[in-house]
Amino acid sequence: MSQNFTRTPVGAGVYFSAIVGPKFKHNRLTVNFILPLDKATASDNAVVPHILRMGCKSLPDFTSLNARLDELYGASLEAGVSKFGGYQVMEVSIRFLDGRFALDNENLTEAAAVLLAGIALEPKLAQDGLFTEKDVDLQRQYIQDTIEAEINDKRSYAIQQCAAFMCEGEPVAVKTFGYPETAAAITRQSAMAAYRNMLKTAPVEIVFTGSGDAEVAKKIFAAAFSALKDRQPVGYPLIKLRPVAESVREKTETMDLNQSKLVMGMRCGELNTPAELTAARLFSNLYGGTPFSKLFANVRERLSLCYYCASRFDLTTRLLMVDSGVEAKNKDLAQSEILAQLKAVADGDFTDEELANTKLLMTNSILSTTDSTVSLEGWYMAQILRGQSMSPTQDIENLQKVTREEVIAAAKKITLDTAYFLKGEDETNG
Amino acid sequence: MRRMDNIARVISPRVNEEYQKVVHPSGLTILLYPMKDFVSAYAILATNYGSVDETFKTGADRDFVSVPAGIAHFLEHKLFENEEGDAFARYAATGASANAYTSFEKTAYLFSCTDNFAQSLDILLDFVTRPYFTPETVNKEQGIIGQEIKMYQDNPDWRVYFNLLESLYHNNPVRLDIAGTVESIAQIDADLLYRCYSTFYNLGNMTLAVAGNFDPAVVLAAADKHLKPAADPVEITRDTPDEPWEVREPLVVQNLPVAQPLFNLGFKGVAGGDERANLWGKIADEILLDVIAGESSPLYRKLFDDGLINQSFEGEAMASRDYSLVFFGGESRDPEKVRDAILAEVARLEAEGIPPETFDRVKKATYGRYIGMYGRPDALGGLLVTAHFADCDAYQPLEMLAALTLDQLTVRLPLSFDPKRCALSIVKSNGQ
Repeated sequence: MSQNFTRTPVGAGVYFSAIVGPKFKHNRLTVNFILPLDKATASDNAVVPHILRMGCKSLPDFTSLNARLDELYGASLEAGVSKFGGYQVMEVSIRFLDGRFALDNENLTEAAAVLLAGIALEPKLAQDGLFTEKDVDLQRQYIQDTIEAEINDKRSYAIQQCAAFMCEGEPVAVKTFGYPETAAAITRQSAMAAYRNMLKTAPVEIVFTGSGDAEVAKKIFAAAFSALKDRQPVGYPLIKLRPVAESVREKTETMDLNQSKLVMGMRCGELNTPAELTAARLFSNLYGGTPFSKLFANVRERLSLCYYCASRFDLTTRLLMVDSGVEAKNKDLAQSEILAQLKAVADGDFTDEELANTKLLMTNSILSTTDSTVSLEGWYMAQILRGQSMSPTQDIENLQKVTREEVIAAAKKITLDTAYFLKGEDETNG
Repeated sequence: MRRMDNIARVISPRVNEEYQKVVHPSGLTILLYPMKDFVSAYAILATNYGSVDETFKTGADRDFVSVPAGIAHFLEHKLFENEEGDAFARYAATGASANAYTSFEKTAYLFSCTDNFAQSLDILLDFVTRPYFTPETVNKEQGIIGQEIKMYQDNPDWRVYFNLLESLYHNNPVRLDIAGTVESIAQIDADLLYRCYSTFYNLGNMTLAVAGNFDPAVVLAAADKHLKPAADPVEITRDTPDEPWEVREPLVVQNLPVAQPLFNLGFKGVAGGDERANLWGKIADEILLDVIAGESSPLYRKLFDDGLINQSFEGEAMASRDYSLVFFGGESRDPEKVRDAILAEVARLEAEGIPPETFDRVKKATYGRYIGMYGRPDALGGLLVTAHFADCDAYQPLEMLAALTLDQLTVRLPLSFDPKRCALSIVKSNGQ
């Protein structure tokens, strides 16, 4: 592998990371602002990057800004919001062609970094120093639409609902974009207050990936952030959730659907060491993360109970979600088979070959992240947010060390917390 | 000893890279694109056969045969299984991440790996060339695919798209869901599967592309090991039903639970018989989509400011053997207003002409994005196959783009965006 990860401070609570290798034809630059998730501020925080995307002081006109991106060989400027455990990450990013493919001699890295720094720190403002009314109106509507559109993708909607029931009242349960009522309440004042709070208190992580000259970008961002006075960044310590389920809760919602969705939310017990966490990841893949996993081979292939059945372990929340698409009449059968397969792993009913093959597939997937700038950025952002800086290669070394007994131990600690069922009301056999 | 005259170098001074094109004695075209410094390799074995190939015959057949909708996709699922079990289980021992897909005009089997490349390639070449279908396995697959079809019926993005295709086309099979329907796949049996297989999975109709971190000699050795020298080439004749000039329905609305109404606004275009010409047309159409309503266009700005579209709005061009179309899609409170505004903008551009500076800018942006296709093993593998089936090399899309002129685009505009040949598909909730 030819990329090295470096992370250096360029301001108060502002870090610049670079992962550079000559093979890439495009570069990416992302500015991330990290804040605690809170129902009261989630929508206001979420709207900010989308307003920033509308223009900056040097290019206040949205159409001129987009024409500038065309001039930079179709650079794409994106605003985004994501959730990382109990934290909300607001980002603006730019993906642009590496200068060696440009037809003229413009320094594209410099141009892109200047543009992104302007978007993040020198927004287009109205005369009264707030965001413009038009931008706030449009982007408030976008956040409202995004919240409403959560029902469009039934699979992710069901997983989200299950997680929200499991973690009711905790920051982790707060939705990434907030709620219809908090989104409707976004005003010019509240959005600006959220932006000012972000500039003052949010830890900032700037990440450069690609083949270009990261030093050029770093200098531009160091200079841009040095203009911010009085920063008091707060940290982002890991928020621990209840490790063990108290009792099994059942929750059913109905919707006009052809295929029902069953999501089983589980808790993974005390995971105190890196080795235990790696074992839990390996367990999840053996159980339901591969095309030859216990769940796929049994619930889907052997019993044809569903079209998909998979498990996913979230390293940050330490929750395990098993989700499946089932016919309503098969729901109980699927649920007991999913639990039977959990017991099978806990009883050691898996071969050394299955374990070795799961490790192989995970190794493939972990190593492959180094071939794409987006995946590399995602990898290292996750490391940073967990307070680590592990490379994919180191992660693979740790994975190889996990034993059969450790996987069994991980399975034994798992308890079912919530069985959430999104039931198709049109289904006749439900 | 391998004959060297069937190996050609394909070179691009523009990208400053090259790859090898090998015509193997088995008839299979092999495209080899090693990428320096990458850790993963991506291999894709594809046949020039997709959901639109519903009526066909070979040189040995007297009559055309028409097969049930969804059979190409069904065949894709079934090939993973033979007497020894499931190909996924075999890949398990190599660590490769394997998959397959069926599109309108091709079926592809692929894997991506960072290790054990040779073993994974062995599996790929073996299972795709050894069909095994029995009434029992066909029957079981009907249940699994039936579930898949049901899942897509709940997907509003999928529904709004296929409703558009159904409203644009009367007879062309591009109008039908790639997976077919529960009723159509019920008609599939082992004999039909074997007939489709022997027609389209002959190696002369297929290509293997590999990109990323691998040794070309390993690929050629695997081909020699698994693939027999070709018997007589299979000549395939496809029958395309006559398609009326006009669209079938100018407006189609379906009710599904969605937050915002979704829409696709499509224009039925003019396809030539030549796949290369159709690829050129698709590239020209991509530029036109951006000129008309790309993010830096005046129309995008107007629609955005009026709250009629949001960030989800985008345009797409499609073309293959016998169809060519463009469409815009997204979420909107008033899709009919969006349609009217787009039609008015097309009329304005036709009357006033496309500004040369707009053309230059959009072309430059498209060029930068196209370079991205040569930047990742998976994207490149897909491009190698697509270009090969369009009878050209993987650098030609970039060269076609570079050579495109404003005059050509001006001629293309009224052909690809004919207001008399457009249809609007809407998916919205009851009461919206």
